Amino acid sequence: MIQLYRVTKYYEGVPALREVSFTVDKGEFVFVTGPSGAGKSTLLKILFCAEHADEGRIVMQGINTFRLKAATIPYLRRNIGFVFQDYKLLPHKTVSENIALALKVVGTPAGEIEQRVYQVLKKVGMETKRHLTPPKLSGGEQQKVAVARALVNEPQVLLADEPTGNLDPQSAQEVFRLFKDINMKGTTVLVATHDWETVRKMQRRIITMEGGKVIDNGGQSPQKPTLAPLNPQAGAAGTKPAKKEP
Amino acid sequence: MKGYGLFYYIAEAFRGLRSNSLVNILAVGTISMAMLIVGFFLIVFLNLQTAVNALGDRLEMSVYLKDGLTEHEKDFIQHRIRMEPGVKKVGYLSRVEALQLFKKELKGQEALIQGLAENPLPDSYEVTIDRQYADAERLEAMAGKISQYRGVEEVSYGKEGARVLSGFYKVVAYGGMALAILLGVTVVFIISNSVRLALYSRGQEIELLQWIGATRGFIQGPFLIEGMMLAMLGSALAVGVLAGVFYAIPREVFLFLSRPNGLDFLPISVVTCMIIGGGLLGLAGGLVSVSKFLE
Repeated sequence: MIQLYRVTKYYEGVPALREVSFTVDKGEFVFVTGPSGAGKSTLLKILFCAEHADEGRIVMQGINTFRLKAATIPYLRRNIGFVFQDYKLLPHKTVSENIALALKVVGTPAGEIEQRVYQVLKKVGMETKRHLTPPKLSGGEQQKVAVARALVNEPQVLLADEPTGNLDPQSAQEVFRLFKDINMKGTTVLVATHDWETVRKMQRRIITMEGGKVIDNGGQSPQKPTLAPLNPQAGAAGTKPAKKEP
Repeated sequence: MKGYGLFYYIAEAFRGLRSNSLVNILAVGTISMAMLIVGFFLIVFLNLQTAVNALGDRLEMSVYLKDGLTEHEKDFIQHRIRMEPGVKKVGYLSRVEALQLFKKELKGQEALIQGLAENPLPDSYEVTIDRQYADAERLEAMAGKISQYRGVEEVSYGKEGARVLSGFYKVVAYGGMALAILLGVTVVFIISNSVRLALYSRGQEIELLQWIGATRGFIQGPFLIEGMMLAMLGSALAVGVLAGVFYAIPREVFLFLSRPNGLDFLPISVVTCMIIGGGLLGLAGGLVSVSKFLE
C-alpha cells in the first residue's frame, strides 16, 4: 500500500529525511512518532506529494509518486484522506459546505452530495451541527469535521499530521477512536504524532523517527521493504482507480 | 463533465464577485476608463475611415484616347480597362460631351474657348476605382499599364490625392492597431491585478482545494469567469457612458465636419465586439494571475 525506499529530503542542503525506508500494508494502522524536528511532517508531506523527495523511491497504492507529473497529483490525492493539526476548515462555510467541497472537487453529482455529507457526519457524530460554521465549534468538533471531510470520498489511505496537537485529552481520545473505527473498516491509517501516551494505549505498530531517520520501524526489516512493480501512471491491481472528474 | 461544469464556475464567480465587492467595483471602474478611451478612439477611427472611404469613392482615372479610333477599337479598349483589377465602373465621355462639360464648368468665362476653330478635347473613358485599390502605388501601376494600350493617348488621375489618401489609410490603420494593442495590454494588466487581489483574499481556500485533490481547471475556472465578467461589465459601462455623452451633445456641434449626419456612433457590431473582446481580455488577465498564483 505504502512503500518507501531510501527516501531522502533536503531543505537548503540540510537533510530533513535520511534514507527512510519502510512498508505499510493495506489495512494497517501505523503511528509515526518522534520528537519535534524528527521529520514526521516532512514524511507525510512527501507521501501526499506536497513536497518532492530528493532521493529514493515512494510507491503509494502501486503508483511511483517520485516521478508523478504535477497534473496527476490531484487524482492521487483523491484516494488519500489527510487530516491536519490546524483542521484547515473554511470559516465562512458551514460544516456541510466544507465537506461538500471535497465531494464537488471529484465531480460527485449534486443530488448525491447532501446524503453523503449527512452519512459521513453521522459517522463522526457531528450530524446535528452540520449547519454551523467552524468558529462555532470546539477544537475537537472541528477536528471531527476535518476527519469527516477526509473520509467522505472513501479514501484507501488516511494520513494525519499531529491530529490531536491542538486538542484536550478527551477530544484527542475521541479522534483516535474514530481513526480506529475507520481502520477496522479497511482503511490504511498513518498517523504522525508525539502523543506517546495515546500511542502506547492504542497498541498498534509504531515507527520511531529521530533526526530525519527511522530508528525503529515497528518490527519490519528497515532497509529492505519489498517493492511492488512500478507503474507511474496506473494504480496497481486491486487498487481503486483515481477519480478523473471534473 | 459530471456535475461541476460551467454553471458551478459561474455560481462561484458570482460568489467571488460579491465577497470582494470593493475591489471589484474599483476594477470595473478602471476597466471602464480604459474601454472609454478605446471607445472614443473607435468613434474617431470609424468616422475617419468613413470619410476616407467617401474620398476613395470619388477617385477617378481619365483615359484619353487618340483621334481617329474606330468604334470597334474603342470598345476593345473599354473591355480591356474593365478587365483590370480594381476597376469598378468605366464610362465613355465623347469629345463633344467633354466640351459641353468644360463649357459648363467655365460658366461666365466662355469667351476663353470661343476662338477655337475645332474641339481640342479627346474622347475619353472615365474610370471609377474600387476604394480598396485607392493606393498610390497600385494606381500608378494601373495608369502605367493602361497608357501602354494601343490607341490610348494619355492617362491622368489625381496622383497627389491618391498619395495623400493612401497615407491617410495607413496612419489610421496602423495608429488604430497600435492603440488597440496598447489599451488591450492595459485591460489585461488591470484585470490580472484585480483577480490577483481576489486570489490572495481566497488563498486559504485555494490551498485547501489543492490538498483535497482539485484539478487546476477546477480551481481556476471561477477566477477566469470572474475576470471575464468584470471586463464585460466594465466594457458595457464604458459603452453606456460613451453613448450617453455622445447623444447628449447637440448635433450642431458636429456641423463643422461638413458631413450630412455629423458623426456616427459605434455600430452595434462594434459595441458587441468591444464587450466580447473586453471579456476575452478579462479571461486573459485572469489566466495570467491564476497561473502565477498556482505556480
